[in-house]
Amino acid sequence: MKLWSISLRNLRIRIVATVLTMLSIVVATALYAAILTMSEQTEQRYKGSIGGYQAVVGTKGASQLEVVLNTIFNVDVAPGLFPLRICTELRSGKVAGKRTQVSYAIPQARGDSVSKYAFPVIGTIDEMFSKFRWEYGDDKVPLRFAEGSGFHYSYDDLLQLADGLAAYESAKRTGAPEPRPARPLIQPQWKQAVVGARVARTLGLGLGGKITPVHGKVGDWKYHEHPEATCDIVGILAPTNSPLDTTIFLPIGLHYLIDGHEGGVFLVEPLPGKTPDDMKTVPVDAGRVGLTAIILDPKDHFGAKLLRDEFGSKEAQVAWPADVIPKFLRQIGNAADALAVIAWLVLLVASIAITVAIYNTMNERRREIAIMRSLGARRLQILTIIVGEAALLSGFGGVLGIVVCHTATFLLRDVVEDQTGVYLDWLQFRPWEAWLLLGVTLLGAIAGLAPAVKGSMTQVADNLAQNY
Amino acid sequence: MIHLRDVVKSYSRGEQAVVACAVDRLDIEPGEQVALIGRSGTGKTTLLHILAGILRPDQGEVTVAGAKLHELGESARDRHRGQHIGMVYQTFNLLQPFTALENVLLGALFGRGAGNEARLRAEALLQQVGLQDRMHHRPGELSVGQVQRVAICRALVNDPELVLMDEPLGNQDRATGGQVLDLLLEIAAHGKKTVVMVTHDPESAKRMQRTVDLATLRGAEVLA
Repeated sequence: MKLWSISLRNLRIRIVATVLTMLSIVVATALYAAILTMSEQTEQRYKGSIGGYQAVVGTKGASQLEVVLNTIFNVDVAPGLFPLRICTELRSGKVAGKRTQVSYAIPQARGDSVSKYAFPVIGTIDEMFSKFRWEYGDDKVPLRFAEGSGFHYSYDDLLQLADGLAAYESAKRTGAPEPRPARPLIQPQWKQAVVGARVARTLGLGLGGKITPVHGKVGDWKYHEHPEATCDIVGILAPTNSPLDTTIFLPIGLHYLIDGHEGGVFLVEPLPGKTPDDMKTVPVDAGRVGLTAIILDPKDHFGAKLLRDEFGSKEAQVAWPADVIPKFLRQIGNAADALAVIAWLVLLVASIAITVAIYNTMNERRREIAIMRSLGARRLQILTIIVGEAALLSGFGGVLGIVVCHTATFLLRDVVEDQTGVYLDWLQFRPWEAWLLLGVTLLGAIAGLAPAVKGSMTQVADNLAQNY
Repeated sequence: MIHLRDVVKSYSRGEQAVVACAVDRLDIEPGEQVALIGRSGTGKTTLLHILAGILRPDQGEVTVAGAKLHELGESARDRHRGQHIGMVYQTFNLLQPFTALENVLLGALFGRGAGNEARLRAEALLQQVGLQDRMHHRPGELSVGQVQRVAICRALVNDPELVLMDEPLGNQDRATGGQVLDLLLEIAAHGKKTVVMVTHDPESAKRMQRTVDLATLRGAEVLA
């Protein structure tokens, strides 16, 4: 028998009061753990998700944060378009100064989604699966596939399509005599999709499964399906614990040929002295096919510096996720800190509840304490027993709070991922959880001090004499 | 074993000091079984608490089992009590949430330690008093006689040199109580333990080797 077993017994015999008092500790600990979990996993998610993205080109009409959040984290709709020519020039090293060197410049165009979960659909080229590098731990390698492989749609295919679309559109606009160039058609081999791990899991899709993009989002006003662009799934990406898991990639050419996208294919620069109606008759340029983003990887430090210093487009800008995201996280961190303060206050109130609950039992326990003293218990041992009660009470509450936090994480992980893009790993136990438990237990022990001192001061002879 | 000299313990009642116990001299030898008798209010229980080290006298010298209790601090007296003295109360003072075995082990916990050895000893004692089938029963599930036997086991679990009893038969019929008291005295005699019992029951006092009337201790110790 040990002193703590007496503490435990004392908690058990007042089980209702113990449970009620413990509840407040459970809530406070769960709240605090949940805040830390969300904050930490958001940070992990955001930092971990930019590992593969060195630089992103987006429209100049948006902030760098908007460009990064939309391109990498699929937040909100694309903030705007910029011309394909910028991508071509980046690929040929002509944009900034004389020699902007990039390992790859992968164009993207987005706008549609799939299913009620609104998994974003991104049109891109096959280099997304051959040249783009993702950080799997220490390995920086092309995206791995759980099943299948990438589709085939090259940058040259895109340029060829842009030329065809420009010829068709220009002839239409200028009223060129027949025979006019025909509008390029969707090729059967383009109707292929690569889906992220979570898309496949959530929708129960495998290789050969069908994906039909939806204009806008399911449930939105004027949303409609694009059955002409229904694709076969040819590849399922291995999990990355990033927004890539919830993304669907299609050949970018297919994106431009989907019904209803014609109006947004070309960016038309207003010309001086021309009205908007006049502009509808101006020929279009194949280089002005609209993109929503370019994924860039400068070849070296010098290339990155050139891009930073000399990228001078008036329609596009380079955003650097490694700069933007930490600033963003600091802002989120401030909110998390404020919530953490609230959680600590709840914990403090719970501790006071422990003090009150145990203090109130001291009168009825005078005889019990006197008996123990008569058996040789010293004041310090009585103090230890009562402090132990408070510490056990709050320690158990802390453990339960962490269990509740993990259970809630398990139950809500899908909802949170859908709403925020943050995947909550409910099985991950972190060192701070042990510290939190220790802190909560210590706080409980401190809360038990006042009643413990009162209990240890119990007069032995007086209370032994009472015959209850 | 026990030597008291010029011991006085008083309480303040308002502005007035009331002497609760006064003993000029009392000597009890090792292995003796002594009954302390006296009228109500003569300070029997106070004297018992002084011998146990629960109370410290206002003046005088108290030597128990080699320790000068009047010189020791509270914590040292507590430790001395836990290791050298076993106590049995009129109300037995078992803790209700604990089983018979656990109550006995509580005595060990605050005495010489409640390890495996103490557990074996506690079980052996309970077996010796016929409670082998009641070890895991709580006091509320035991008869008065059984509760008294558990209290005796708790008093003996640390193998103390001195056993102090405060009206141990006060709450039960004489026949049952007498049997249990005889059992305790037998165990104590076998272990050469000193037993001091406070009682106002002449029949119980007769079971002891010597009777001391507290009323006569002021001035001189009187042998009955």
